[in-house]
Amino acid sequence: MPERLDLSVMAMVVAREFQDGAVVNLGIGLPLTCASYVPEGREVILHSEHGLLGNGRLAQDRSEVDPYVFIVGNRPVLAAPGMTFLSHDESFAIVRGGHIDITVLGGLQVDAAGNLANTHVPGKIAGNLGGAPDLATCAKRTVGMMYHTTRDGEPKVVERCTMPLTAVACVDRIVTDVAVMDIEAGRVVLREIAPGWSVEEVQALTGARLVVPLDLREISLG
Amino acid sequence: MINKVVATFDEAVADIPSGAMIHCGGFASPFNMPSYLIAALARQGASGLTFASTSAGTGVEIAARLRAQMAPLVDWPLDYWDLGLLADLGRMRKLITSFPAGTGRETVWPFERALERGEVELELIGQGSLAERIRAAKAGIAAFYTPVGPGTATAEGKEVRDFGGVPHVMETALPADFALVRAYRADRLGNLVFRGPRTFNQTMAGAARVTIAEVEEVVPLGELGPEAIHTPGVYVQRVVVRPSTPIPSWDTPC
Repeated sequence: MPERLDLSVMAMVVAREFQDGAVVNLGIGLPLTCASYVPEGREVILHSEHGLLGNGRLAQDRSEVDPYVFIVGNRPVLAAPGMTFLSHDESFAIVRGGHIDITVLGGLQVDAAGNLANTHVPGKIAGNLGGAPDLATCAKRTVGMMYHTTRDGEPKVVERCTMPLTAVACVDRIVTDVAVMDIEAGRVVLREIAPGWSVEEVQALTGARLVVPLDLREISLG
Repeated sequence: MINKVVATFDEAVADIPSGAMIHCGGFASPFNMPSYLIAALARQGASGLTFASTSAGTGVEIAARLRAQMAPLVDWPLDYWDLGLLADLGRMRKLITSFPAGTGRETVWPFERALERGEVELELIGQGSLAERIRAAKAGIAAFYTPVGPGTATAEGKEVRDFGGVPHVMETALPADFALVRAYRADRLGNLVFRGPRTFNQTMAGAARVTIAEVEEVVPLGELGPEAIHTPGVYVQRVVVRPSTPIPSWDTPC
């Protein structure tokens, strides 16, 4: 098999779509990486569910840490000019009210109908919803960012999710370490493919039938 | 004269009965958890408690691991306790939460073990609906319709109704007997100022019959300006000040 994209490249592919001025929510796990790859010259407002809007980058060392300014996962971040603190209910009024331009969420499974399952890690007695149901349902655009297959090689892009759903018909785009796919009218459309990969090789790792348009491109960061 | 300041944490939680419904604030940082109130409740011994909280809490052992992991960046407080402590002690009957489990197979939280032992009940709900259910209780709204949840387990057993062609789930207000919240500063009227993301601390203040605020300091009346107060004192019944020197064991009276 050809080489898969590494996490930083996946994050760059996702972050390409962050428009100047966009309000962006990044889920826990892989999506948080995207904060470091906002394209040059674009200013985005990061939103974090527990009541943080417009923070700066992750703190790198002790001298930068304000212990009161954290994002999810116990990660201290820098304050930024214009940053705002909110209550949880206000934070989700922003989400539910449609004020988030783009959310990037991790996924266990995404299916051809755009359903997202990212709640219940197999082997755990309970799953975590976090703020994902609200974000996936109400953001203007939802991107699923995940590895193309599980650790055991099972496809994560499937015809129909078999795991508990976080939200239905919510995913617009899937970015993996192998491909970029759009969900359109109940189909998975293959838009971009990692360098060196053939359509057949991607299809072999995918549980849903891929629609291949004439303008299929190789993933490029240019 | 109004004075909501209570002398000790033990006094602040003394009347919480077994079987009570409790809101517990905090999330994402050890610096916004009402840790001393949780510890006092653990000492007080009430059991069969129902909690609403963003997260089930890491418990004492995993907090120690996080303290080591975080050491290069920040001194994780030695006086950090969360709902994991109460799950470990078997005081919890039910938890209404968005985040009941540690992330990853290797991180097992006390609440997960209590679930495995069959001691506790879980009501899983997304953070946005949990926050709005609590806000509704504070604001006197009996129920509301949200587009979040249709087609998922969250909507099971709930009314689903169309608005503008979009299915919405009816969620009901979630009041509590007591709310445990953490703020930064307070005055004797119970006015609160928070520091950092206000999380469920601000949402829950006022949604319970008795809201108890754990704060770093109480300042003279008038020092918190009207432009600066985040939560008005009418939402708060008790204020209690954190010790200036951390007390590193939860079972020490304070």
